[in-house]
Amino acid sequence: MKNKIIKKKETRNNLEETIRNQTDELKSKTGQIKRGVDREKIAQEQILIRTKAMESTTDGIFIIDATKPGFPLIYTNPSFQSLIGYSKNEIIGKNYFLIYGSDADSRVVEEIKQTMSRGESFHGEMLNFRKSGKKFWSSLRITPVRDTKGETTHYVGIQTDTTLMKQRNLEIEEQREELLHVTRVGKLAEFVSSLAHEISQPLTAILAYAQAAQRLLKDKEPKVYEILQYIINDDQRAAEVIRRLRYLLKKSKPAFEPLDINVLINDTVTLIMPHIASRNKVIKFELDTTLPQIMGDRIQLQQVLLNLISNSLEAMEASSDSLELMIRTSRKDSDMIMVEVKDSGSGIAAENMQKLFVHFFTSKPDGLGMGLSISRSIVEAHGGRLEAENNSDRGANFYFTLPIKIKNSQ
Amino acid sequence: MATGKMKIFIVDDDESVCRALRTLLMTYGFEIITFNSAQTFFEKVPPEVPGCLLLDIHMPGLDGWETQKRIMASGSKRPVIFISAEKKDDAMGRALNVGAVGFLQKPVNGETLVELINVASENYQMANHEE
Repeated sequence: MKNKIIKKKETRNNLEETIRNQTDELKSKTGQIKRGVDREKIAQEQILIRTKAMESTTDGIFIIDATKPGFPLIYTNPSFQSLIGYSKNEIIGKNYFLIYGSDADSRVVEEIKQTMSRGESFHGEMLNFRKSGKKFWSSLRITPVRDTKGETTHYVGIQTDTTLMKQRNLEIEEQREELLHVTRVGKLAEFVSSLAHEISQPLTAILAYAQAAQRLLKDKEPKVYEILQYIINDDQRAAEVIRRLRYLLKKSKPAFEPLDINVLINDTVTLIMPHIASRNKVIKFELDTTLPQIMGDRIQLQQVLLNLISNSLEAMEASSDSLELMIRTSRKDSDMIMVEVKDSGSGIAAENMQKLFVHFFTSKPDGLGMGLSISRSIVEAHGGRLEAENNSDRGANFYFTLPIKIKNSQ
Repeated sequence: MATGKMKIFIVDDDESVCRALRTLLMTYGFEIITFNSAQTFFEKVPPEVPGCLLLDIHMPGLDGWETQKRIMASGSKRPVIFISAEKKDDAMGRALNVGAVGFLQKPVNGETLVELINVASENYQMANHEE
């Protein structure tokens, strides 16, 4: 009897142990499941974060399926869609290269395809076209994605709009060019300044010698006296040229005063008249005598006129049958007057038209390429514009506008 | 009249300019001595020797401004006329500020120069009379 009880007790103990074991096992399995669920939850969270990151980055991101022909897009983020101007539905499943548009640089596209087929990464910059046809520059990076066996299954691409950066670089480049110009002009000014100094020394000596000789020969040799006077006049003319050149390159602020443009034109033509006559050319005027005064720097505006007139004379030099130079003034509108210098010369060659006013551009064998660019700066400093065009029959027309002097309201 | 005329010193690094100005001024009866540098002028001409100085500005070594400063510092009342190719906007004002009698731009017109020398000479003689 006692044995039976003991046996029963053993059986119960075994049973309890089994249950305990099974409970433990169950607990551990539950734990495992729970851990699995947690892990999956974490994994899902990570996917979500990664997706969100890809969706919210400002760079365009796309994925191409490499296992199918025709480079179909299987994913694009919103930034990519707004970059190229297509909606998601319009591009998913479509050939990636088709969205470049037919205007894209075919060499770059070919290079990308070649690089991809070799299983390498592509990185470069290219000009793209939006759906609207609008151009944009982008930096593009395409990288192959491989499976465990090393086969390329996808390509992931990152595309960034670099148009603004490119524009800024261009602007910086332009400013640099401008600065170079200024430096070159500055160098020229320096050169002219030292040249002017060197030339004014002999001019000083020539003038003093000639004036001394005049005093010694006065009343004795009237013919020689006259010749000496011509030497003196030419010496002073040369000195005036240097003075004007210096003044011009000094880039000083113009000294504005009320001016009658017609009087200024007459004065200027007087200066250059011997030049015109010696070349057997004729100068004609069509001056509007009712024009109001302008505010301007006399010397600078004379320089512009002299420049335009001597250019015209040179243009007419070649052909003996082009005789006539015409200067016309007129009222352009309520604010502006206009001055035209028209010649009957060879006109402006089409390829030179764009470069006419650029510093150091010249079509003359011995020209400096400064005249027209300086003239334009002067006119612009006066608030006007200097332009050029060919006449319908023959020759060129250089014309500039100047603002009318505004009367005080008092 | 010629006896009352002042001696004229010309300082210019350009020999031809010196010779030409001397030739010209001689026709007006002046006595002229030329120097190719300010240094030689200071060596040869003591401050108390009367005479008007025609002074170039741009010269190697002592330039015109520096030369004029030295003359002033020595207490000399020597009239100085600057003659320069330079025409900075303020050159005239600057020249008068540092005690020069005048400023003429090269190339110089003979009559203008002589007028200025005569004015300088009269002033100088009047000033010396008062002393």
